[in-house]
Amino acid sequence: MKTYETTIIFDPGLEEARINEEVDRVSQSISQASGEVIEVQRWGKRKLAYNIRKRRDGTYIHIKHKSPPELIGDMDRRFRLNESVLRHLTVLAVKESPRAAEEPGHAAEPGHAAEPAQAGAAHASLNEEKI
Amino acid sequence: MAREGESRSFRRKFCKLCFDKIERIDYKDDRRLTRFITDRGKIVPRRISGTCARHQSQITEAVKRARILALLPFTSEQYR
Repeated sequence: MKTYETTIIFDPGLEEARINEEVDRVSQSISQASGEVIEVQRWGKRKLAYNIRKRRDGTYIHIKHKSPPELIGDMDRRFRLNESVLRHLTVLAVKESPRAAEEPGHAAEPGHAAEPAQAGAAHASLNEEKI
Repeated sequence: MAREGESRSFRRKFCKLCFDKIERIDYKDDRRLTRFITDRGKIVPRRISGTCARHQSQITEAVKRARILALLPFTSEQYR
């Protein structure tokens, strides 16, 4: 059993209920393979950096889960066949070191420059120095 | 800041990620990653940004992943 992070970009035209349905289906397949869903993050509708299948936006879902490695290939195939999935990516989750828990969704630590990768939120404030 | 007439000024570059004490740069952190790509969307080389080797390889991996998820561009469109 390994810990993975799967991000799925759904068609922006899909309504909430349909997305929930799709997410449920993924979670079900994980638990059926005796895996475990750790966390589901909804980043909401975001602008894409480039168009995918002529869509400018996408609805992002980020799932952290423990799954047997055999499931990943199967999951990948299903996403490919699914027309409403614009893009998907599954990567091994990084083991969290005790001091840096800078995951989005977690409360920002005091003292740290509070900058969680909160997607969906307006991130036009990019006044940081350019290299 | 080079004075006029001087060809170059020597200012030691430092790794900005080490400075900020970032253990691990994440592919989801697209705001931080935009500091390490050019306006064309290329990854800024180490000799320009001054990033340390450990962080540069993390940046490379993170940028590539973020590009797949359309968080960062592969290329900037207006240059096409």
